[in-house]
Amino acid sequence: MNNSFPRLIDGLCATLRTEVLSRLDDEFARGQVFGVINVLNTFKVRADWSAGFLLQQIAAQQRALDALRPLVGVPLPTAPLPAAAPAAELLARRDEGNRALQSVMQWLDGEAGAALDAERRARIEALLLQAMRAEVDLELKHSPRPLFAEMSSGREG
Amino acid sequence: MSTIGSDEALTERIGRYLAAQMGRAPRIGRIKRFPVGFSWLTFLVPVDDRELILRLGPDDGLFAPYSAGPQVMAMQSLQGSGVPLPRAFWHSDDPAILGAPFLFSDKAEGEAVVPWVAPTEPPLEEGLRIRLANQFIDCLAALHRADWRGQPIAAMAGDVDEDNAALRSVQTWEALIRRWQMRPYPLADWGLRWLKSHCPRAPRVTIVHGDYRTGNFLQQDGAITAILDWELVHLGDPHEDLAWASMPMYKGGTPYIGRLAEPERFYGRYAQQAGITVDMASVRYYQAFSLLKLAATHMAAARCFEEGRFNDLRMPAMGSQIATCLRQMVKTIEAGEVKA
Repeated sequence: MNNSFPRLIDGLCATLRTEVLSRLDDEFARGQVFGVINVLNTFKVRADWSAGFLLQQIAAQQRALDALRPLVGVPLPTAPLPAAAPAAELLARRDEGNRALQSVMQWLDGEAGAALDAERRARIEALLLQAMRAEVDLELKHSPRPLFAEMSSGREG
Repeated sequence: MSTIGSDEALTERIGRYLAAQMGRAPRIGRIKRFPVGFSWLTFLVPVDDRELILRLGPDDGLFAPYSAGPQVMAMQSLQGSGVPLPRAFWHSDDPAILGAPFLFSDKAEGEAVVPWVAPTEPPLEEGLRIRLANQFIDCLAALHRADWRGQPIAAMAGDVDEDNAALRSVQTWEALIRRWQMRPYPLADWGLRWLKSHCPRAPRVTIVHGDYRTGNFLQQDGAITAILDWELVHLGDPHEDLAWASMPMYKGGTPYIGRLAEPERFYGRYAQQAGITVDMASVRYYQAFSLLKLAATHMAAARCFEEGRFNDLRMPAMGSQIATCLRQMVKTIEAGEVKA
C-alpha cells in the first residue's frame, strides 16, 4: 500500500459517511455502517501496517546492500536489521535502503561506473535488480486481488 | 472543487460567460455532473434547445494544474481528419471565469465500453467486437495520418523530431514521477534509465492521443461516435499509442487488445490504414514505457488521496497497483531483451 494507514482510515470513514450513509435509508443498515466507522476509528489509534511484511522487505534490501558494498564506490547503510520497531521507523528504513539503491545507479552512470569492467558492472546491475524485484514481489505477495471491475460497475464480480 | 463552488454558483457563472460569448442571454437548464474520471470534471449543460459538454480541470484534480489548450488544439486540428470527436466551442485557462480551466464542446451520443470487467461478465458479442475493433484501429490510423503541420496543435511541437520523440516523452514523465512520488521507487528509476538508453527512432512524428484505449471512446449501435479524453495529447511516436492501447490491463480477461482486436488484426490493419510499418521492438519499448506511465499515474492517485484532495477509495486502490505495474515493466523489458 502506498498510502499512510491513518489517512486510509480517515478516507474510509469519510466515504462511508458522505457516499454510503447519505444514500442509505434502512435504520439497521445505517447503524451497522456507524459500527464499521467505530471499528475503523479504533484501528486508527491502535493498529498500523504489518511490521512483519516491512521487515521482510528490509531484510531482502539489506542482503543486496551487503553484497553491493564491496563492489561499489558509494557508502551504503550498514545498520543491523531491527528485531521490531514502529511501522513509521520501518518505512523510513525501507526508504533509506531504496535511496541507497538509487545512489548506486547514479554512481554506475557516472565516471566511476563507466570505468568498471563488464563483469563487475553486470554483477552490480544483477544485485540491484534482484533487490528491487524482491521489494515488489513481497508487496504483490501481500496484496489481495484488486476489484477494479467491481469498483467500475458497482456489482459483485 | 473548492474554486468551482456549488452547481448553482457554477450555473450562474456559465450563464454569464455564455451570454458574453453568444451576444445574448441563453437559457441554461439544470447542469448534471457525470460521475466518471479522476481528472477533469465533466458536466452536461442544457443551453437553450441543445446540450453541451463542459469539462473543468479543478485545481485539486489528479493531474492539476490543468490547461484546456492541448485538448482544444487537438480537437480543432483533427476536424475533418476521420477521427470522430466532439467539436470544441469555447475554452479558457482563466480560473476567474468558471473557477478552473474549462472547455465547452458538443455532446457526443453513445456509451463507453469499459476495459475492466468481472470474470463473470460475458464477452462482447462477436459481430459487435469485430465492428468496434476495426473502427478502433481505423480511428487510430486516421489520427496518426493527420497532417498536423500548419494546424493549431503545431504550437505544441517544440523541437520534437523522429530522433528525439521517445526521449522527450520519457523526460516529460520523469518530471511527473518526481512531482508525484511520495517515496523513492528505485525500480522506476531503473526503468527510466533503461528507456533513456534504448530510445527508438520514430517512423514519423504524429499526433499522439496519449490515453488511447477501450473506455475512452463512445459507441452507439456498434459505431464509434467519439474518441474522448484528449488531456494527454502531444506530438510524438505513433507506437506510443499502439503500446498504450495494448496494455494487458485493458484486455478485460480476453486475448484481445482492448477487449476488441486480435493482435494480428490490430497491428496488421493499423499498418495498412496508417501507412506506417509497425516495429514490434518499438511497440515493446513503448509497452514498457506505458507500464511506467501507468505506475506514475498511480503515484499521482496515491498522492492525491494522501493530501486529502479526494476521499474516493479508488485512489488508494490505484496506488496499491504501483508494484504490479513496475513488475510488469521489468518483465516486458526482459522479454524484449531476450528476443532482441
